[in-house]
Parts: sequence; C-alpha cells; structure tokens
Amino acid sequence: MNEPAPIVFMVDDDPSVLKALALLLRAMELKVMTFGTPYQFLEQYEPGTHGCLVLDFSMPDLNGLELQKELAARGIELPVIFLTGRGDIPVSVQAMKQGAVDFLTKPVNGQDLAAAIHAAFEKDLMSQQARAEWGEIHQKLATLTPREREVMEHVVAGKLNKQIAADLGTVEKTIKVHRAHLMTKLKARSLADLVRLAERAGIMSKAPGRNDYQT
Amino acid sequence: MSWITVLWSMLASTSLTFALLHLFLWAKGIKPWANFSFAVAAVAAAVITGMELMAMRTTSIEQMAFILRWSHLPILVLWVAIVCFVRCYFDAGRAWLAWTVVVLRVLALTLSLTTGQNLFFDEITGLKQITVWGDETVSLPLGLLNPWYFVGPLSALVLAAFVVDAAFTMWRGGTDTGRRRAVIFSASITIFLLTAVGHTALVNAGIIDSPYIGGLSFMPILLAMSYELSCDMLHSAQLSQRLQAREAELRISKQRMRLAASAAELRLWEWDIVHDHIWSTDKTLTLYGISEPQKISFGSLLSIIYDEDREQVRLAVEKSMMGNGNFESEYRLKMPDGQIHWFHSRGRIEFSDDNQPLRMLGVSIDITRRKHAELEVQQQRNELTHLSRVTLLGELSGSLAHELNQPLTAILSNAQAVQRFLSRDVVDLAEVRDILNDIVAENRRAGDIIHRLRLLLKRCEIEHLPVDLNKVVRDVLKLLHSDLVNNNIAVSVDLDQQLTAVIGDRVQLQQVLLNLIMNACEAMSYTVAGQRRLFVRTQLTCNNSAQVSVVDQGPGIPTENLENIFEPFFTTKLHGMGLGLPICRTIITAHGGQLWATNKNDRGAVFHLTLPLYSGENA
Repeated sequence: MNEPAPIVFMVDDDPSVLKALALLLRAMELKVMTFGTPYQFLEQYEPGTHGCLVLDFSMPDLNGLELQKELAARGIELPVIFLTGRGDIPVSVQAMKQGAVDFLTKPVNGQDLAAAIHAAFEKDLMSQQARAEWGEIHQKLATLTPREREVMEHVVAGKLNKQIAADLGTVEKTIKVHRAHLMTKLKARSLADLVRLAERAGIMSKAPGRNDYQT
Repeated sequence: MSWITVLWSMLASTSLTFALLHLFLWAKGIKPWANFSFAVAAVAAAVITGMELMAMRTTSIEQMAFILRWSHLPILVLWVAIVCFVRCYFDAGRAWLAWTVVVLRVLALTLSLTTGQNLFFDEITGLKQITVWGDETVSLPLGLLNPWYFVGPLSALVLAAFVVDAAFTMWRGGTDTGRRRAVIFSASITIFLLTAVGHTALVNAGIIDSPYIGGLSFMPILLAMSYELSCDMLHSAQLSQRLQAREAELRISKQRMRLAASAAELRLWEWDIVHDHIWSTDKTLTLYGISEPQKISFGSLLSIIYDEDREQVRLAVEKSMMGNGNFESEYRLKMPDGQIHWFHSRGRIEFSDDNQPLRMLGVSIDITRRKHAELEVQQQRNELTHLSRVTLLGELSGSLAHELNQPLTAILSNAQAVQRFLSRDVVDLAEVRDILNDIVAENRRAGDIIHRLRLLLKRCEIEHLPVDLNKVVRDVLKLLHSDLVNNNIAVSVDLDQQLTAVIGDRVQLQQVLLNLIMNACEAMSYTVAGQRRLFVRTQLTCNNSAQVSVVDQGPGIPTENLENIFEPFFTTKLHGMGLGLPICRTIITAHGGQLWATNKNDRGAVFHLTLPLYSGENA
C-alpha cells in the first residue's frame, strides 16, 4: 500500500507561533500545512486527506470547540490536537468529549507534540481503515434484494424464522431461502458473523422490531 | 537802692534767664532755630532794659546821646530775632515784609549813627530830672527831634504788619491750637510793640514825663513767646506719656496676639519687600540658625524650604507680585533635626501708589499633622487601588498566561528546531541565523508583555505626567486581546487623533479602562456570540477635555442603579466585591475628571469618562 504521507494541518492566529511550530515539525520530517484562521482551513481542506489537525484553542471568530463541531457537522473526521495557552480544565474536558486526541498546553515541547501527532496519525489511519471496512460492508449490503435486507434485519434482531415469516406475512420456507442467500452474499459464516457485520454497518439500531422489545 | 534800679535789673535778669533757658533747649536740639531766635531776642531785650536803666540814671548829655544812639543796635537784633522766630516757629509771614523790617531797622541803626546825635534827637539840649512814683528821680533827654525819627516807628509798624499777616495765615490754615497761638502771639506782639514805640516817642517828644518802659513792654512779648515754646514742651511731654501708655497697650495686645497665634498654631509674619527683611512670630525660625529677626531675608527663608517646593513658592510669590497681591502656598521646611514640616501660608501684598510692592503681611500654619493624615489616606487609597488592580489582573490571569505563552511557544519551537538542524551533517547557517533572529524578536515580545504587567502590578508612587489616552486604550486592548478573543467579542475603536495629552498617572488610567472594558465583556456574556461588540471611542469635548466612552452590547443597567454602581460594595456580580467601579471613580475624580454611566437607546450600557487636557503649565 503506497499511501501519501499524512499532513499536519495547523491553525493558529498568531503568525510567529505558526511559523515556529511549522519549522519545528518540518525539522522532524513532518509534512505541515499552516492556516491563519479556521475558515481558511475549512476552505482549503480536501476531505479524506490523511493527517491531523493541530488547533490553537483561542482564536478570534471561531474558537477551537466551535471549529471541532463544524468539522463534525461537515463529516470531517480528522483527529484534532488542541494547543492552549491557558490550560482551562473545563474547556479541555469538553474538547476531549468532542473527540479531541490530545490537549497540550503552550509552550509545547516538540517531543510531546510529535508524539501526539503520531498518535493522531495512527488514529486517523485506523479510522480510515474502519471507513474502508465500512465501505466494503455497504458494498456487500447493496447486493441484497430489499426482501433479503428486510429478513436480515429481523435475523440480526434475534428473531426465529417462524416469527419472521409471521411478521412478513409469508411462510417459514421462503424465509429460509432468503436467509441462505443473504449469508452467502455477505460472506457470513455464522449468525455471530452476521450480527458483527450488521453492527459495523450500523443496522442494529434501525431494526424495525425494536418496538416489540419495548412493549 | 531805688526800686527803679531793682525793677529794671530784675527785668533784665529775667530776660537773661529766659535766654539761658532757651539756649539750653537750643543746645539740646529741640526746635533749635525757634529757641535760638528766642534766646537772641531775650538777650537783646535784656540789653535794651539795661541801656534804659543807664539812660534814666545818667546825668551827662553826652552819655545820654551815646546810649540812645547805640540802643538801636539791640533793637535791630530784637526785631530780627522776632522775625526769625515767627518764620521758624510758625512757618508763616511774608518774606518781603520780613526783609522790609530788617532793611528799615538797619537803616534806623545807620541813621542813628550818622545823623544828629542819634535817631531820636538831632541835638540833646538838656536833661530833665523828673520825679516818678514817689521820691524816685530819673533823667529824660530834652532837645530837637531828628527828622529821620519816623524810620523807627515805621519799622515797628511793618513788624506789626508782618506778625499780624503771619497770624492771619495761621488762622486760615490752622487748627484750634494754631488759631489760639495766632491770636495770643500776634496780639501780644502788636500791642506791646506799638505801646513801647509809641510811649518812647511821646517821652522823647516831651509830651509825657515818664521813664522809658521799652524793657517792660518787651516782657509780655517774651512771655508770649516763651509760653508758646513751653506749651510745645508740655504738649510733647503729654504726647510722650501717651505714647508710653500706647506702647504698653501695644505690648499687651502683641502678647495677646502671640498667645492667640501660638494657641492656634498660627505664625504671623511681615515681609518688608523694599528692605527685604522678614519679621515673624515664628519661634521655629530661630531653630534654623536665623536667630536675629532682622537677619531673615526672603533668600534665607527660601534656602530652608524643601528643595522640591522652593521653586513653587518662588513662583507663587512672583505671581502675587504681578497679580492681585494674594499669595497662597503649601510647602515643606527642613528642620535642623532633619524633620520635615508642612506649612500653609497665605499673604497679601501692599502696593505703593505707583504699584510697587511694599510689604507682604501674612499667616502661616503648620499643617504637618493634617498632611500626614492626608498622606496616610492617600497611601491607603493607593493600596486599595493597587489591590483592586492585582485582583483585576488575577481575573485576567488565564488570558495573560496565553498572551505570554504565545511568544514562549514560538521561542521553544524555534530553539528545538535549531537543535535539530544543528545535529544534521550539513548545517544551513543562514536558516539558523533567521531562526535565532526570530527567537530574539519573540523574546522581546514576551519581555514587553511582562513589562506591561509589571507596571500594572507594581505598587508605585502616583505620577502626574502627560498621558496619551489613545495609547492607554491601545495598551489595554492589547493586554485584553486574548480575553476578548476567547469571549468572541469584536472590538472596534475610534480614536481621535487630535486628542492631546491629559495629566495623570498612566497606570491608574490603564486600570480604569481595564476595569471598564472587562465589565463590558462580562456584561455581554449572555449576548449572542455574533453580537458581542465592544466599542471604545476617544474624543475631544466642547469644554476642552478628553472623553473616553466604552460601549457594550449587554443588557444595560437598570436606571435606578446607574448611580448606585459607583457605590462601594454595590455589586450585581456573583463573585464581585463591588469595589471596581468606586475605585475607578475615585481615580478619575482625583484626576479632576468625571466618570458616569448611561444606557444606550437600543441595548447596552456606555461608560463615559472625561479628563482635563494638559495645558502645558501644570506639570
């Protein structure tokens, strides 16, 4: 796999800090792109680019937390490392809750920053793999007929063939055929396999029989 | 012995006694010319009396002629003495009349020596023995009268005219005493002069038989003159007695005044500007080694004034001399024991008619105790101000840490980058130099921030120097930069570039603005993020002062609290002490300005402060 090198996206409203940090990271053989404002970054970032975001927490117009939310809203899953000059605990807790990889206080040691960046790259890579897997699963799911998909959702919900047939208004034998097809199409060797797959695809929550459990 | 001899001798000796008495007074220097004239007149009168006696006792015609001839010499002297007396003592009488008297009398003496046997007789033909008042026999001349005889009575008339004229002058310009003198003196001279001259003429003409009574007639004149002089003596004796009483009174009242002054801790002083010496009730002056009161000059007083106050006192004095003469000043004096005392002086200059300062009268009061109390209060106020400043900065600590961490981050990163570059085989020295330059610049930036902070944290003496308000606004906004950023507050400023400096303490003015702007930020914490706008404006007002307005977009201030917020311990904040705004107002008031709050029409509050502009002279 010949992936392009991950990029450190760095946003800070203080040009000299931006310049110095970029210099240090480049000296550490990292690829760095710098931005003076969060908007600049949002404009120029190409979704899907591998890397991480190093973000100064205090910036005019749009602060770190807000940018983090904006990224989530745009579906950008770039890991975020916060830098702050003030080290407020409530803010850092909030940031971590929103999924920040790390929260470093300025002045930051190069080693620590590098470590955080590498951890973020790792996370990005992992989430990229997870994304790839997710894509794969969805590709497989797309091959299912609507009926097979319906049956699958019922199976994953833990219903017996008899129950499913009753729910869908057909006979048990037909359900069995659908079930064998979808297992083949999804390359699931067992029910456990199927459930894990559905889980990854996020189907579990959409199960139509959910109301039955609750009532 | 015959009683005529006795009487005439007595008259002569009385005259001589008068003469001696007044010569003594002349020697003492009391009204010297009047007394001398009088003494001369008295001697002349004594001589005339003696000559009369000799004439009455003689039995030879030659002797009679001789005595009568030379009798005009003492008469001349007497006339001249009377004229001199009137001129010297009364300072009156017409000069031409005086000269006429003298000339006529000199003429009379000359004629007496040159025509006939004397001025009275062309030729004495015989002596008549008459008996008067009992068994006394006296000689009287008989003979042809000299045709120049009239010169003698004429001179007497002119003398009388001179005296009467002098009396009129005194009457017109005089007081009651002057008028009394004029009447007594002129009347006695005129009456007795004319009596003597008239009587002599009648005797000489042989119309009446009587001894010469010239000497007798002059006695009342002498008495009148002597009375005048004695009255003067008496008067001056009375005056000196009264003066003594007054002096005693003055001494007592001075003592009272001193007592009152020292009880009130007042020092009275008087400065004779013309001769430059200062008199003062201030006993402390003796402590400076200026022991003798007449030795204190303005210069020596200035030299004991505290160095820093000397110029100010000098200027105040100069100003009062140029202006309306009022002097007021507060200054410190150095005591020899090293203590410093504060004084407050007030004075007033008296000017001469041509507007020259003559002297200054005034009082000083030792205000050391009051001043110390004031200083203590001032110090406490300073402490409080400082404390509130520290508290203010404590609230800002997060932002300030960020502000300081920015350059530190840049420095650390740059330094670590250089470390990495240096460990490489090939070192790009140009790049290293660039980085080091950056490090130096960032270091300076951090230093500036610390310097600004230190100034604010420092507990320092209040300064009164020209301050650029625009710069104060910019500095404070710089300090608050990250706080404003964090709170999503958009700042706009409108600084009047025409604004000249104000006089004040830069740190305290920064503190006020810091406080106002932080309050504005806090007021906007519930405002929607996009609408948090802070507006700071400086401008020149119409009454020549500088105004700063801090405008926020918060909820505003309830109208009933617009004034309360400046009261100590009034607070609407959860953790506020309620001291920020009162201290701000104290600071601005101490700067001679005003601080107040208003509400905007739409939303938000405005804090205004005005400060008097620096006029260039009160620094």
